[in-house]
Amino acid sequence: MRKVICALAAIGLLALGGLASPAVAAEPAKPKVIRVGATQAMDSMNPFLAVRLVSSSIHRWMYGFLTVPDPKTLQPSPDLAESWTTSPDGLTWTFKIRAAKWSDGQPITADDAAWTFTKMMTDDGAKTANGPAVENFASVTAAGQDLTIKLKAPQASMLDNPVPIMPKHVWEKVGDISKYEADDFPAVTSGPYIAVEQKKDQYVKLKANPNYWRGPAKIDELQVIFYDNPAAAVVGLKKGDIDLIGRLAPPDFEALKGDPNIVQWNTQGRRSSYLQVNLGATTSDNKPIGDGHPALKDQRVRQALHYAIDKQKLVDEVQNGLAVPADGSIVPPMYKDFFWSATGDQKVTHDVAKANKILDDAGYKKGADGIRTMPDGSRKLQFRFSIHTDTPIEDKLAEYLTGWFKEIGIVLTTKRLDSSKFTEETGTTALFDLAISGWSVNPDPEEVLATHLCSRRPTASGQGGGTESFYCDPQYEALYRQQQKELDRPKRAEIIKQMEQRLYTDAPVIALYYPNDLEGYRKDRIAKVTPIPEDKGMLYGGSGYWPFYTLEAVSKDGDAADDGSNTGLYVGLGAAVIVLVGAGLFLARRRQGVADDRE
Amino acid sequence: MTVAQPAAEAIEEGPARHGVLRYAAAKVGGALLSIAMVIVATFFAFRLLPGDPVRALAQGRNMTPEQLDLERHRLGLDKSLAEQFVHFVNQTVHFDLGVSYEYKRPVVDLIGERIGSTLLLTGTALVMAVSLGIWQGARAGWRPGSRFDKISTGISLVLWSVPTFWLGLLLLMVFAAGIGPIPGIFPTRGIESVDAPSGFPYLLDVAKHMVLPCLTMVAVVYAQYLLVMRSSVIDEVGQDYVTTARAKGLRDDEIRRRHAVPNALLPTVTLVFMRIGFVVGGAVTVEAIFSWPGLGQLFYEAIRVPDFTLMQGTFLLITVSVILMNTLADVVYHLLDPRVRSA
Repeated sequence: MRKVICALAAIGLLALGGLASPAVAAEPAKPKVIRVGATQAMDSMNPFLAVRLVSSSIHRWMYGFLTVPDPKTLQPSPDLAESWTTSPDGLTWTFKIRAAKWSDGQPITADDAAWTFTKMMTDDGAKTANGPAVENFASVTAAGQDLTIKLKAPQASMLDNPVPIMPKHVWEKVGDISKYEADDFPAVTSGPYIAVEQKKDQYVKLKANPNYWRGPAKIDELQVIFYDNPAAAVVGLKKGDIDLIGRLAPPDFEALKGDPNIVQWNTQGRRSSYLQVNLGATTSDNKPIGDGHPALKDQRVRQALHYAIDKQKLVDEVQNGLAVPADGSIVPPMYKDFFWSATGDQKVTHDVAKANKILDDAGYKKGADGIRTMPDGSRKLQFRFSIHTDTPIEDKLAEYLTGWFKEIGIVLTTKRLDSSKFTEETGTTALFDLAISGWSVNPDPEEVLATHLCSRRPTASGQGGGTESFYCDPQYEALYRQQQKELDRPKRAEIIKQMEQRLYTDAPVIALYYPNDLEGYRKDRIAKVTPIPEDKGMLYGGSGYWPFYTLEAVSKDGDAADDGSNTGLYVGLGAAVIVLVGAGLFLARRRQGVADDRE
Repeated sequence: MTVAQPAAEAIEEGPARHGVLRYAAAKVGGALLSIAMVIVATFFAFRLLPGDPVRALAQGRNMTPEQLDLERHRLGLDKSLAEQFVHFVNQTVHFDLGVSYEYKRPVVDLIGERIGSTLLLTGTALVMAVSLGIWQGARAGWRPGSRFDKISTGISLVLWSVPTFWLGLLLLMVFAAGIGPIPGIFPTRGIESVDAPSGFPYLLDVAKHMVLPCLTMVAVVYAQYLLVMRSSVIDEVGQDYVTTARAKGLRDDEIRRRHAVPNALLPTVTLVFMRIGFVVGGAVTVEAIFSWPGLGQLFYEAIRVPDFTLMQGTFLLITVSVILMNTLADVVYHLLDPRVRSA
């Protein structure tokens, strides 16, 4: 009997739940709140540990950095560092730290920055999130507002330093950084927002920082609300449970079509999608590894593959038209300063005849079955294409590539792998011929360029080093070292473009397209949001805090929403009454039953 | 071993008690053995999975080889397999499940934070599914072939065969977003509103968030209780004692409720106990649809990364609770049904 009563209580409670919304909605004072949806939960509130995009985004909104990308040009511009100078040898950088205040009123000094960097250099636990950013630091010292960083080797990307500056007076009290959850709220910050509450795997609440040196944000509260799956997040946006959602896949983006209250944000993105080619993978001590097809060591074969691909068709069919075909390499056109695209003879267009000619000239003869063989006749040109399981987009891509490669006498078979096996086979053991890959590029492209360095190949003992291609090319290495030293931005950009050109023609990777940045927001809630870069840029997931710092809320709260909750009230009441009456009847009958039992 | 002690003392209390305790001791011993095997199997099963976890964690991030080595060291992956195994067993028997690769926090803490919401959701759903299943099953089985039987069995089987993910999303789109005249009165995610009130309104808020996930879970699983209950009631209908009760002139409803159902409950009790074990595991799919911050969600995230210690930890928790509940079911069954005892 107790069980039955429990069940009834649960039913009753659920029914009453239908009534809860009006009670919540009736609260009087209305601060300006914007709610951002995220399909990822925070991994950590501690910026030394957090690696997920959602976490680093939130930290960007909370903490100042040395520099921040300019909203118009994406060039490094002053943030907590007001100005900086570099010694002639490029090894000593001096930053003047802004005389601003932490959100608790304490002054921000160079000591805070020095403590942050030194902590990362000396404590392995603090290296988790941004370790590589300080790997080249020899020493960091502070004097008043002057921060001096001495480098081991010149590094032009110094001004794209991804480390948030932490308040020393708060964080030096933390014992073990690697175990600290940073869940003391409100957090002490120097950026536009202060984290005031976190419910793990549910939401993070940020309040505008009244002491922010650029002036407080125009909204009072920014909430980041987590969804486990994008379909539910899209429902949440349409309903108005959230006001903005970024990083949408094409189908989810298209589901927003036709909603009069929603702006479909479709602009250039920061990602490039490319094919990774196993061009004879080796370990960092130059020993062969893996089982890549020997034909792919031949640049002409890779070139022929490139000619066989119709990138525009891939964009139209695989990405629903929501991408830009890649006429360049791994740096997407959003980064105007560093983007390189092929022109003239160099430009590879969809040209099957040319692809066939290249292969014919190189001696890869077609057999009776229409499949080409190696010039020495040892092996047929049969390649595997590694993709992830359960990714319809990659499946579709594989279908198209298989069709095109067939036209040039190459057999492509698709190999679907779960993500950890995929990562191992395409990044460490080199058990692949072609694989799908991609990278989200930062305003300074150094890190994506570094993924094609010799040193990133797996070690002799077979441990992965973070390569995206197993590439090891003397010319590319030399250019990489050259750009590291070049502090003149236009000159450095030229060198970086040469690196992209090298990747384009040598084809260890073949860029396919640059997926668009797909987002959606409610215009009945968000009055204004400035993307980064301001011209056709991104809202969520971009670098810097501009979009979320400049957010403006629609001042009056939509009337439509109130109507909705009234209807909700009546339906909720109706449902509750029905369920309660039903439950009551049931209970009465059971009571009767109990009475019977007790006779 | 502490279990064996009372068993020995019980000899004086008579053969029946002695039997029960010896039976229980044997079952508990078996369960402990199973748990030990699960611990060993867990370690090796997750080591057999392909992939370098550190490389997987570094996917799409700028990581230098030095930092990757540092991570391997942090996660203890630079030690030999034997050392890792000894470390793992030692940790596990001390109820320490290690530190999550992804969250960098103790797995025990992560589980602790989420187990409450999972128990709330799956527990409520279980109670509702069992009540609904037993009630409908008993009525359906009492008059097999009747319209009630056909309709209730039919509906439950249709819902049983529907994919959980599909049903959940459908409910979400209809009752959370609202379609046409149906208003979206239920929230689209989570266990509570962001600006949740406190006190009693908070309970209402949580209840409101529970409606759709609970409904999804109940709809998909109640058929099994219904069917088991129905078939065991059918077995009872033809029994002599039912005829006797009828001959005594008892009302039909009363015969069903007071005589047939209690006898027919036994298989359902076993089933319920087995399901209780799985309650801890939550419902991965339902939690993923409704962004319910429970263990299922944690497990789902762990697989997506993949976060081996977290997977190990949640996997161990689920298997151990299933084993414990099965053992309990055996013992309870033994107590409830004299036929099992004599057999």
